[in-house]
Amino acid sequence: MNMNKISRNFLSVIIVAVISTGCKNSDKNKNGGTDEEVSGQETAQLSLAPMVPPPITRNHPTKVVVNLTTVEKVMRLADSTQYMFWTFGAAVPGNFIRVRQNDEIELNLTNAPDSKLSHSIDLHAVNGPGGGAEFSSVAPGHTSTFHFKALNPGLFVYHCATAPVPMHIANGMYGLILVEPKGGLPKVDREYYIMQSEFYTKQSFGFKGLQEFDMDKGIKEQAEYVVFNGSVNANAGKNALIAKVGETVRLFVGNGGPNLVSSFHVIGEIFENVYLEGGETISHNMGTTLIPSGGAAIVEMKMNVPGTYNIVDHSIFRVFNKGALAQIKVSGREDSTIFRRN
Amino acid sequence: MKIISSIIFLFISIAFVNAQSLRGNIPEKKMIKIPASDFKTFYVSKTNKPIVVNAFSMDEYAVTNAEYLEFVKANTVWSRSKVNRLFADVNYLKYWESDFDIGRSNKNIYNSPVVNVSWFAARAYCKWKGKRLPTLAEWEVAGNAPPKNIAYTSVTDYIMKWYEKPPLPVLPNVKSTYQNIYGLYDMNGLVWEWTFDFNSFISTGDSRNTTNDNTNLFCAGASINVTNREDYAAFLRYGFRGSLKGNYCINSLGFRCAKNINIK
Repeated sequence: MNMNKISRNFLSVIIVAVISTGCKNSDKNKNGGTDEEVSGQETAQLSLAPMVPPPITRNHPTKVVVNLTTVEKVMRLADSTQYMFWTFGAAVPGNFIRVRQNDEIELNLTNAPDSKLSHSIDLHAVNGPGGGAEFSSVAPGHTSTFHFKALNPGLFVYHCATAPVPMHIANGMYGLILVEPKGGLPKVDREYYIMQSEFYTKQSFGFKGLQEFDMDKGIKEQAEYVVFNGSVNANAGKNALIAKVGETVRLFVGNGGPNLVSSFHVIGEIFENVYLEGGETISHNMGTTLIPSGGAAIVEMKMNVPGTYNIVDHSIFRVFNKGALAQIKVSGREDSTIFRRN
Repeated sequence: MKIISSIIFLFISIAFVNAQSLRGNIPEKKMIKIPASDFKTFYVSKTNKPIVVNAFSMDEYAVTNAEYLEFVKANTVWSRSKVNRLFADVNYLKYWESDFDIGRSNKNIYNSPVVNVSWFAARAYCKWKGKRLPTLAEWEVAGNAPPKNIAYTSVTDYIMKWYEKPPLPVLPNVKSTYQNIYGLYDMNGLVWEWTFDFNSFISTGDSRNTTNDNTNLFCAGASINVTNREDYAAFLRYGFRGSLKGNYCINSLGFRCAKNINIK
């Protein structure tokens, strides 16, 4: 009976795979698709927020080995407030992965020996059931491996997809993967990685000490904390991002959720370019862009005037009362033709 | 008459002592009777009816390092250096000092649950004791019984608190958490425990007309066919079991044994 079921399931997987690749082939080829030859092998250079790995200079796809580790760890959620985070790479958000279109990725997911729980990864950059979730399921102290080809360029969220998924995400298990298009992205002066997410704690915002996850608040979508890069003021004040007047800054922005949609805005700046929801369509001269939960966007802005710029979720109570604030400090000469008093 | 009964008693005692030395010097632990019940699986489908769990008995607390050491000494094939990798991975008993020595630095954990033992090893231990591993259904019936000696709001809440705490540098001794209404200690909050059929929920028995019988634990699939969507502790437990293989040895995974109750 079991064998019957297994073979039947296997067959349906093959059929689904054939149908879906059959449907998608034409799209892929339009983009330049899968006709490129894969050569060489490298290990992905990963980064932690707010940093981004360097742009890819290869003009061909290669085999890329990505090594991620899931770690359960108590870290700072706010000053004097800690939380038991579940993470990719012992940080929230998790490691930034940067690959090129048509790269063949070997993803090794190691679950730290001291983890209490099993974890997995669902990358939205994957074509395949679960985004890799089931293949990557891994018990503490062990490693799972699966392979995928990065067919579609774009900026994608990845997250843990082990039950209960909302809890794994609510505890910090998400990050971004950038699949650069052939030819790469246009050169800019600075790139940063920012990810919004919210936390549901039993105690209210600002309560000191180790906080517990509150499932009821999660279900009701009543977040106590809405933060950028995993904690209140992770990239504000002395940890603010920096840039110089005249530079173009590119932000890879993700929204890990688990529930809230972000009205992403930088106060006092205008996005010259927005890769809407991380895809191919570029919109220009936008003030605020919407980033869905489990979604992303690439925004680019030229910094014209020195000063401190607040990065916010313009659902503005989240900024004042829940922590949704990061900053860019821009140094350089004033330009009175652009901005001045009187 | 008195003499005869004394002799019989002596024989029985000798037999008992012999059995004891075969099975180790640590006194047999108490087993608790768990009454028969219906177990409603966490995952339900049309073909997946409640399971009748017959009355059985279960170890009062998890197998300790000291108890496990006796097993290894009596069954050297299960010592760290001799064990077959097919039956226990490289993490097998990795925190012990050597094959037959838990270690002085580990003296605080002699009475803590043995961890980093595989399913095969756990099964062999129980067999050696004349017992067996509990089935998943039996474990769930026993493990979901409410505590009787601590204040708690819900079992789920209690369990979730365990998951949220960072691991302690030294694993506490058995009987250090709560005792449930059956009298079992530490069913939650100390270590995970192997069950005989730990991954059985992955495929449900009959699959006729069940092309949509999506009993997987990943992504949104996990929200289908679940009896209680808010039992996050059960999700975590089943998710954990689902990632295991029989030879896996894990820091937080131990076991206890069960036994049939013979009805005459």
